[in-house]
Amino acid sequence: MCYRTILWVYLPFTLLTGFIAPRNAVPVAVTKKWVISENSSLCVNGSTNINKFACDIPAYDRTDTLTITKGKGDKDVILSGNIALKIQSFDCHNAIMTHDLRKTLKESQFPCLHITFLTLSEFPKLTLNPSPITGWVNIELAGTTKRFEINYQVSMDAQKVIHLLGSRDLTFSDFNLVPPRKLGGMIKTNDKLSVAFHLKMTAMN
Amino acid sequence: MKKILISGLIAGCILFVLSYGGLYLAVRFFPSLFVEYNSPLFNSNGGRDVLFYMHPFIISFALSWFWDRFKTMFKGVFILRGLEFGLVYSIIALLPVMWISFSALDITVAMVLSWFAYGLIQAIVAGMVFAEINP
Repeated sequence: MCYRTILWVYLPFTLLTGFIAPRNAVPVAVTKKWVISENSSLCVNGSTNINKFACDIPAYDRTDTLTITKGKGDKDVILSGNIALKIQSFDCHNAIMTHDLRKTLKESQFPCLHITFLTLSEFPKLTLNPSPITGWVNIELAGTTKRFEINYQVSMDAQKVIHLLGSRDLTFSDFNLVPPRKLGGMIKTNDKLSVAFHLKMTAMN
Repeated sequence: MKKILISGLIAGCILFVLSYGGLYLAVRFFPSLFVEYNSPLFNSNGGRDVLFYMHPFIISFALSWFWDRFKTMFKGVFILRGLEFGLVYSIIALLPVMWISFSALDITVAMVLSWFAYGLIQAIVAGMVFAEINP
């Protein structure tokens, strides 16, 4: 008798609710494409024991696309795409320093610096206020590829331009490069370099 | 010959300490004077560092031989003999080299003058050492 009561209560409930799919049970992957505009830039700051230098690539001469894919979880964001920067485009605002940097980065053998985007810590919120996120990239320089976590600031301005600012401290030795030194090492370039890039992008429909 | 080698070696050691000690302190306390050395004109891969640090011994052995040949021409106390020896070397060897360096290379007057002064001081110190060890 008891079992029959339970069956009569449970069976209609199961029939009524069994075919209703719970909301968001099957997550949908979201994919967006961002086109990098030509006025993106990259800056490298370094120092020697006698002065400081700042070298930059003021404009990006290619049109590349980054694809951002949000997976099942909130933290599962894949950022794919890469940028190739010509070492020859580096300008240290001093012909001698520019020449030295290009020589140190072995420009004749490896003419490009490649940044391959891999992941983001979260799907970026595109607001006027920059939001901090992190992500992993592969950087290929002078024939050596290393994986780094980059600190980003992402925002979108009123003109719908997406700004992705990335920064990271690197060292010459990360890429098996020897910093330049003069006068038997009396004048030496410090191993640490601060790299910052600013990608300006527009979202593709 | 033995005297030439011994006095050359002693002068080389003294010049090594004075030259690189002075250079180290100058880079540390007057860094702006060395900004010009960030130039492709100067070796930057460290491959010639050994040669760079051998310089005090090269100049000392050369000056030691020169001193042994002409020491009788330098009269007076050891300081005066050293001074005169340094000036003679600078006028005969350094001045023409600095002249051609400045005319042919993209370097500043300050840089050339500092090299001249550096060489002059090295030769004076070496001369004083020789006047004491190999009078």
